[in-house]
Amino acid sequence: MSLDTNQSTKQSLDLSPTRLVTPEAPDKSNRLSSTRMGGKMVADYWDNIFTARERGQSVVWYNGSALNPIFQAAGLAWCHGEAFSARLAAMHMEEPAQAAGAEYGYNAELCSYSRTHLGCAVLTQKGTLEKQDGIVGMADQEELAAKLPSPDFFVNAYAGCSTGQQWDAMTYRVFGKELPMMNVSLPMIFGTKPDAGYLRGKEWETTPLYVEKQLHKLIEFIEDQTKRPFDWDALSENMSYIKRASELRIEAMQLCAAAPTPATYWDWVASIAPINFLPANQMLVDYFQAVKDEIEQRIREKVSAVQNERYRVYFDGIMNWNKLGYLTRKFAEHDVAVVAGRYTHDSFWQEPDLIDVDRPLLGMAQHYLICPINHGMKIMEELLLKRCDEYGIDGIAFHSTRTCRAMTNPQQMLARTAERERGIKSFSFEGDVADAAFYKDETLESGLVAMLESIDQQRAKTAQLV
Amino acid sequence: MNTLDPTTFAPLERAAQDPVAYATEWKERTGGLVIGSFPMNFPSELVHATGALPVIVQESRTTITEGRSLLPEFYCSYTRSLADQAATGELEVFDAFVLVDHCVQLLGAADVIQRVIPDKPLHFTQFISSMDDAWSRGAVEEKVQAMRAEVEESTGVTVTDESLTASIRVFNENRRLLREFFDLRRTGRLHIPASALQVLVKSSMVMDITEHTALLQQLLDRLDTLSSAPEHLVRLHLSGHFCAPPRPELLNLLEECDVVIVNDDLYHGSRYISTDVPKDGDPFAALASWYLDRNVNVPCATRVQLDVDWQSYLVDTLADSGAEGVVTLQAKFCEPLMLYYPELRRTLGERDIPELLIETEHEGLAAESIRTTIETFVERIRRQRSKQLLPA
Ligand code: SF4
Ligand code: SF4
Repeated sequence: MSLDTNQSTKQSLDLSPTRLVTPEAPDKSNRLSSTRMGGKMVADYWDNIFTARERGQSVVWYNGSALNPIFQAAGLAWCHGEAFSARLAAMHMEEPAQAAGAEYGYNAELCSYSRTHLGCAVLTQKGTLEKQDGIVGMADQEELAAKLPSPDFFVNAYAGCSTGQQWDAMTYRVFGKELPMMNVSLPMIFGTKPDAGYLRGKEWETTPLYVEKQLHKLIEFIEDQTKRPFDWDALSENMSYIKRASELRIEAMQLCAAAPTPATYWDWVASIAPINFLPANQMLVDYFQAVKDEIEQRIREKVSAVQNERYRVYFDGIMNWNKLGYLTRKFAEHDVAVVAGRYTHDSFWQEPDLIDVDRPLLGMAQHYLICPINHGMKIMEELLLKRCDEYGIDGIAFHSTRTCRAMTNPQQMLARTAERERGIKSFSFEGDVADAAFYKDETLESGLVAMLESIDQQRAKTAQLV
Repeated sequence: MNTLDPTTFAPLERAAQDPVAYATEWKERTGGLVIGSFPMNFPSELVHATGALPVIVQESRTTITEGRSLLPEFYCSYTRSLADQAATGELEVFDAFVLVDHCVQLLGAADVIQRVIPDKPLHFTQFISSMDDAWSRGAVEEKVQAMRAEVEESTGVTVTDESLTASIRVFNENRRLLREFFDLRRTGRLHIPASALQVLVKSSMVMDITEHTALLQQLLDRLDTLSSAPEHLVRLHLSGHFCAPPRPELLNLLEECDVVIVNDDLYHGSRYISTDVPKDGDPFAALASWYLDRNVNVPCATRVQLDVDWQSYLVDTLADSGAEGVVTLQAKFCEPLMLYYPELRRTLGERDIPELLIETEHEGLAAESIRTTIETFVERIRRQRSKQLLPA
């Protein structure tokens, strides 16, 4: 999975309240300003991608894991399918792609990331055929959906979701099976054995080695495509930047254990694109240094991310890209600081200690396998409880994502576990990753209010006992 | 229309309608273990070789109640039914579960089963789903061995080369007999309801395989004179519907609209019986070959393979059976099928082969509206037929 929440040079992300937010309610959210720099970096990245062919650069389309440090070392331009779908949804520009997908035959109940991206593939392919110059030539060039440069080849490395792998098998067919493709298979870490747990047990020790071998094959495949020997030093260098950026990101996240929190889940959402697919370089490190600095400053100056923080909530589920700005304000309106989440905190190079720049592929393989949808229940429960303890969580918001079953899979049971093990209340609301039609505001409003009431009751009871 | 000998057919039908009752009775009778597997690629031979009864867990016809709070409504009916069966005690007969498939919805259901009935071990050994990589075969062979260890742990019995070879032999024989029915139907020498054929396949997934084979043989022996379907009926191929069978009522409804089903690639149909396990060589490696071969024989949308296409298979098989159109049956929310469907539609469309998509749901059948859709579709094929008959 991945995303991009940042601004393009031409179209801007809608982070303003939507019509559904109570108009008279003041905005009580206080987002980090340092993440704006990420917006510019992401916009530049995409602008660069859109012109990759003009510069004669080879283009790889990929989905799933963050293979970009490898692509970067190979001198490729990389287009992450989910990231582009997320970008379109966050900019409210997903409709042309989704319409093209629907016309091609993709059902609305299908993963909206995939059908948005497949719609882009249809438009791109159409444009390629029309223009024969490799630049998407949809009549209306303003349509961002049609701006992806056509690929030279595909790579798929999707953890934890069968749809993720099948999606690229279809993209490959949309392009007439004419372009090379490589699949990296990432087995799920099911974790049912007695020794199994997060980053431990025999299953954990052996599976990354299998994936590491495939990554070596991937590099051979890339060498075949580019007709150049792979630059291993460049990969190590890229991974050293990723490692440092990741350390800073994790340190900054951990500072948010403070109450009131200096930054929220929504700031981490805005920082996903940089960590997940931007070029690994000093700018990336500087970005996360700036984020961390701002958080430290806020702690020093006692500036909170939500005015009058009264509840600390954990967000489980994939992001709802159509509603990013709305949700930010909505939770804050109820004095809720969404402090952490599965999508942000258990993804995206979240274990920098695993990265060994002298053996970069192993740490990469390990990270691909700890994607938050690639664990069985036992590990999911362990991670959820750990985060709840770390961040002093009072309640959990489960985003029941209509077309992303991978993220929705364990939610009902996770809710039971949190209540049983820690007495943590939760609620579930309906929405989707990239299709606004599935969002049901009433389920958010009523669920959130009910959860906050039960937290109040719980607190009152505890106060009486004391 | 041919009739299948009712006395022989009855126990097959009972087992197909109530697999849990069959497994309970088998357990009482033999004192053996019952191991549940999930579709669509578990090699039942591995369990059979331990002396336990391998049963592919079926979708229950029961209305989903408790399962609603375990998996959301936007999951396919099979996985929602599994969650419900776990919560309502319908899976009590099973001593353990085994799974090699990776469909994201199925994994969700597996998580539910593990949590709701934690005393029943659920062993998951993921078979690689990218079928044509240089390392695919080795990866499957390794996983077959891993699953062997799990099955041995659950049953307390060692699977030897000899026991597995013997199991492979009986399953191959069973598939061969089932294919005989399908071949007779495809070549126009057997005309029986599609729902009856479904009973034959479904019962083979849940019954003791030797008992099933004996009944199949008896059915074949007692077949009345072979007869073909009347010419005026429109010949159709049924495609899709993974994991769970389409409702028999839907198959009957199709046939009521002047249709004869001549072939299919349904899981509860040709897909399941398409491929034998190679009988020579290392039997464990043979199971890996079987897994890889069956996606070549009848390609599946849940696997990815660059050099194999479901749509090409379909076009070839239509030429073989003389089917005049395709009805794609899609369990609502089945993502692999939703993803692949446009390619099927495109290919059939390019060849002017009539195609119809019908979505199915656990909760029931909108019979009248489906009937109208099918009738319109049949009419379209008839018109196409008459056009072809007109002199150029
Ligand atoms: S369903 Fe979710 S995890 Fe799967 S491909 Fe789509 S967005 Fe990714
Ligand atoms: S393949 Fe389709 S029917 Fe089978 S479990 Fe997955 S979604 Fe359900």
